[in-house]
Amino acid sequence: MSANPAQRKAPWILAALLLFQVVLMSTNARHPDSEQSFLRVWLVTVFAPIVHAGNSVLSSVKGVASSYVDVRHAREENLELRERVDELTAERNKALERATQLDSIRTQLALPPHPPYRELAANVISRDATLWFRRLTIDRGTLDEVKRDMPVSAGGGIVGRIISVGPNFAMVQVITDKHAGVGAMLQNSRAMGEVRGIDNDRCELKNISTSENVEVGEAVVTTGLDRIYPKGLLIGTVERVEVDPNAPWHKIIIKPAAPVDRVEHLLVLLVEQKDLKLNEGIEVRNPPR
Amino acid sequence: MQTFKIALTIVVALLLQMLLSDYVGFFQYIDLPLLVTVYFGLQRAPVLGMVTGMLAGLGGDAIAGGIVGVGGFSKTLIGYLVGTASVRLSLENPLARLAVVAVASAANTVLFVGLYQMLEQALPHMSTWAEFGATIGWKVLGDSVTSIALFVVLDRVFSEQATARRMAIRKRFYE
Repeated sequence: MSANPAQRKAPWILAALLLFQVVLMSTNARHPDSEQSFLRVWLVTVFAPIVHAGNSVLSSVKGVASSYVDVRHAREENLELRERVDELTAERNKALERATQLDSIRTQLALPPHPPYRELAANVISRDATLWFRRLTIDRGTLDEVKRDMPVSAGGGIVGRIISVGPNFAMVQVITDKHAGVGAMLQNSRAMGEVRGIDNDRCELKNISTSENVEVGEAVVTTGLDRIYPKGLLIGTVERVEVDPNAPWHKIIIKPAAPVDRVEHLLVLLVEQKDLKLNEGIEVRNPPR
Repeated sequence: MQTFKIALTIVVALLLQMLLSDYVGFFQYIDLPLLVTVYFGLQRAPVLGMVTGMLAGLGGDAIAGGIVGVGGFSKTLIGYLVGTASVRLSLENPLARLAVVAVASAANTVLFVGLYQMLEQALPHMSTWAEFGATIGWKVLGDSVTSIALFVVLDRVFSEQATARRMAIRKRFYE
């Protein structure tokens, strides 16, 4: 059987293309900023407006379909929300009072002030394009002063951090991603560990000694020691504690406070590593709004 | 014109992959860039298959996150293998195409995961062999079912290739 010239050259072309990609992936794998690749920035910058437009169309179609269901439950939901607003207003007033007292004490003790930072609202335009990575693409980028390693939050808890950014988009690594890690501590005992993503929509708090008393429902907050997330942001609550008498560490499963698997709108905290000092603060509180 | 249509097909596949994963949960198990690679590989053109595989794979890496080049490597190889197989074997009928998609889907997952293991990077859904097997099974199912509809659409878009393929079937049958 006689093959045409293109077919005869095919193995050589294959070898060249594979070699090129071996070099590409080896370089990327070794590089600490591998997520910020030129190809990714270039391609997603072009795709982002199209996906955003497509998202708007699909969202409106989905919105029309679900609006009837929403309207049916609106009355009950309205009553529930009114009660919740009352509760939250009372909590906020208490928190403001405590914050004022704390600021006063900090001034008296000459402690450094908290780093000021702004929040920027963003929309999710794409989510988990494949099975392997938990990533969100948002419609804010360097043109909106978004930079790599900026934290992202929603619904009162952190969602993740920016790992790749272009002019009109940013890619967020969600805290439930297997590669994600957050410096964390238990809010009551102040025991410090590290939150890592696990395969499902949960995280695991690691390196907490079995000598520590951990309660289900206890809040887990950021330590600020990873120099990415400011201290005191809510990560989630302890969902369950698996005790192994032979293990030196607890196995603590965390339910994220933010709805990371269905978040549509989120806030980028415009805070950079240089703004986060290790002695950032002593108390835990939510970021200023 | 043909080159432009192929490039546009890859771009549309990548855009749909980015867009629909947010709305259809099972879409994560479907790999449109892979299906496009297999389709062009089945045109009895190994070079077209591997070039399409490389472009679709690198594009997929770019939109999904992770290390750029891993998906490109696996899809380039699969594009070449499917192209070479389609030159030597009769893979023109729909059932054979379905079988090729199933094998390509499984091979792509194994290659992708294997390359990440070699680069010492952890991936989810890999805790046990059973979980890995289930992931492959779901991906094979997702890709195979989607390919039935997608290949019909692509046959209409690339009607000249579809006609040539039908001619090849007749030629093999009568000679």
